[in-house]
Amino acid sequence: MLEEEQVAFFLASRLITRGNKGTILLTIMIIAMVFVNLIFLPSIIAGIVVLFNQQNIDYSYGNLVIEPREDQLLITNVKELQQKINRVPGVVASTPRYTGAATIVSKGKSTTPLLIAINPEDEKQVLKIHTGIASGDYLNDGDTGQILIGTTLAGNKDQKVDRTPTLGGVDVGKTVEVTFRNGITRQYRIKGIIASGQFSVDSSAFITRKELESVLGTTDTANQILVKTQMTGNEDAMRITLMQYGIQEKIWTWQDKSADFLKSIVGSFDIINVISTIVSLVIAVVVIFIVIFINTVYRRKQIGILQAIGIDRSIIIKSYIFQALFIFASGTLAGCALLFVLLQYLTASPLVFPGGPVAPVLEPMLLFRAIVSLFIVSLIAGFLPSWLTTREDILSAIRG
Amino acid sequence: MIIGSNLAKIYGKGTVEVRALDGVDIRIRKGEFVGITGASGSGKSTLLHLLGLLDRPTTGTLVIDGVDVGLLGERGRTLFRLNRLGYVFQDYALVPELTAEENIYLPSRVRGMTVKECTRACRDILSLVGLRDRVDFLPGEMSGGEQQRVAIARALVNNPAIILADEPCANLDTRNSTIILDLIRKLNRELKQTVVMVSHEEWHQKYFDRVIVLKDGKIVSGGD
Ligand SMILES: Nc1ncnc2c1ncn2[C@@H]1O[C@H](COP(=O)(O)OP(=O)(O)OP(=O)(O)O)[C@@H](O)[C@H]1O
Ligand SMILES: [Mg+2]
Repeated sequence: MLEEEQVAFFLASRLITRGNKGTILLTIMIIAMVFVNLIFLPSIIAGIVVLFNQQNIDYSYGNLVIEPREDQLLITNVKELQQKINRVPGVVASTPRYTGAATIVSKGKSTTPLLIAINPEDEKQVLKIHTGIASGDYLNDGDTGQILIGTTLAGNKDQKVDRTPTLGGVDVGKTVEVTFRNGITRQYRIKGIIASGQFSVDSSAFITRKELESVLGTTDTANQILVKTQMTGNEDAMRITLMQYGIQEKIWTWQDKSADFLKSIVGSFDIINVISTIVSLVIAVVVIFIVIFINTVYRRKQIGILQAIGIDRSIIIKSYIFQALFIFASGTLAGCALLFVLLQYLTASPLVFPGGPVAPVLEPMLLFRAIVSLFIVSLIAGFLPSWLTTREDILSAIRG
Repeated sequence: MIIGSNLAKIYGKGTVEVRALDGVDIRIRKGEFVGITGASGSGKSTLLHLLGLLDRPTTGTLVIDGVDVGLLGERGRTLFRLNRLGYVFQDYALVPELTAEENIYLPSRVRGMTVKECTRACRDILSLVGLRDRVDFLPGEMSGGEQQRVAIARALVNNPAIILADEPCANLDTRNSTIILDLIRKLNRELKQTVVMVSHEEWHQKYFDRVIVLKDGKIVSGGD
């Protein structure tokens, strides 16, 4: 019966426009705040997770990691394989690496970091390490006798500051001594210091594959090929495509390879996120409910009178639901505006985390969930008090 | 025609029993203007609440215009109030957020008149109670007498057979009381509406066709 809704809407609109503006404004503001609270922290956390994942892709793994076949220790015929990979549709570039431990000594300080042998130009196509040169220069493909040192590995002059074994504050131009696993020792001039913000990179050292092959006496070998694909997110499908194109080496996605501690950090954030969302939601429910409830109870006498002059309770209940929905809609809209301002501000001056600036990520699902839950709460908060008040006997309602 | 038989309203507070209304037989004919009077606490309001279907009697039956209203469900009683009864409260009981016109509009719209019909009925009825120029006033912007006239207009708008008024002049001075009483009497005479009005003012009694006197929940005289 549409007539009933019309009357209910008429009543609701007058109660809102001619009611206490302060109360309504306050209620709308509260809902806006609750809405922001419901969205803000989860979106920051989502931003952190995205940052971590992007860092993993950009500095450690690319999208896919190719490793030697089941029964082999090394990838051989790297050049050929790399060409094969690069021809697969969806692949942007690939870069072979030879990773192993080596002992580095500088002025009596000795430590055993990861030494990664790379094709500097290929790396540029896949990773962003080259953008993180803090001082000195990045490697060239033909470089021999030169090394890049991560800033964490380089360490500080004041060793009390360092939390991991370091080289005690080495700098560009200095020479370090590297002892390889096969016992060969060579001197290297430090060409650059890398400060990428990614711990695994900043605590490693880099030389060219050309250099390493001269040390090991091998040619065209690697123990990893990192692959960059056009899209992030469809790694599983790309893995299958690569297999279909005849790649018989083991293929991992960056998610597979992500360090366990990173996975557990992301996992912890997820838990924080869930808890924070639940708490915000409970607060939202309680606050909205109380505010609308009090507002309705306050009009108890009026509800009694309306019933006394023959207005059916369903009309009264509907008019209170309309009022609650109006408050919900305005509150959510105001919340969106507030959130927008906040996001603009955070885009202009981002929060900086280890690993880089964090941009809040507004997942549509999150927004949807917040809106739906506030909607349901408002519906109940509009319905329940008016339902209860119209259920009691008219005289006690009128007496107030 | 209102026929109440053996109407009683008993409030129980633990072992103490308050017989607010104690076996009342009452008959009110169509078109009558009946006054109910009696000392404070004698049960006047209680009786009017029963007649206005705002409360149910503990025992007894009430038949209004041939309908045994005790048999109606809540929805039926609400509809009955909307269509057949007009209730006027001592404290006007207008919705403060609605203008004079909108207060009257509400019950007529709920009854099913179109917006156009409603607006017309509202204006007509406001003219009838002499408030044509107060159409857009909010209750807070009107005097007590004016508010009570709006309340009467609201009670009248659905052209009810019976108007019930519980001390409608209690908060008004003599001048305004006279206006209200004259108005109610005019409605009673011209529109042939049955009016039952509670009042304990001696001078009001000249308006009534008949006076029912209550004492301790019982009718002392005028019960017919
Ligand atoms: N809800 C209630 N609970 C208990 N007792 C009640 C209730 N309502 C009324 N009473 C009692 O019923 C009796 C009659 O009350 P009622 O309001 O009908 O009196 P009245 O004649 O209208 O008085 P007044 O002239 O003061 O308005 C009083 O003794 C009152 O205390
Ligand atoms: Mg009374």
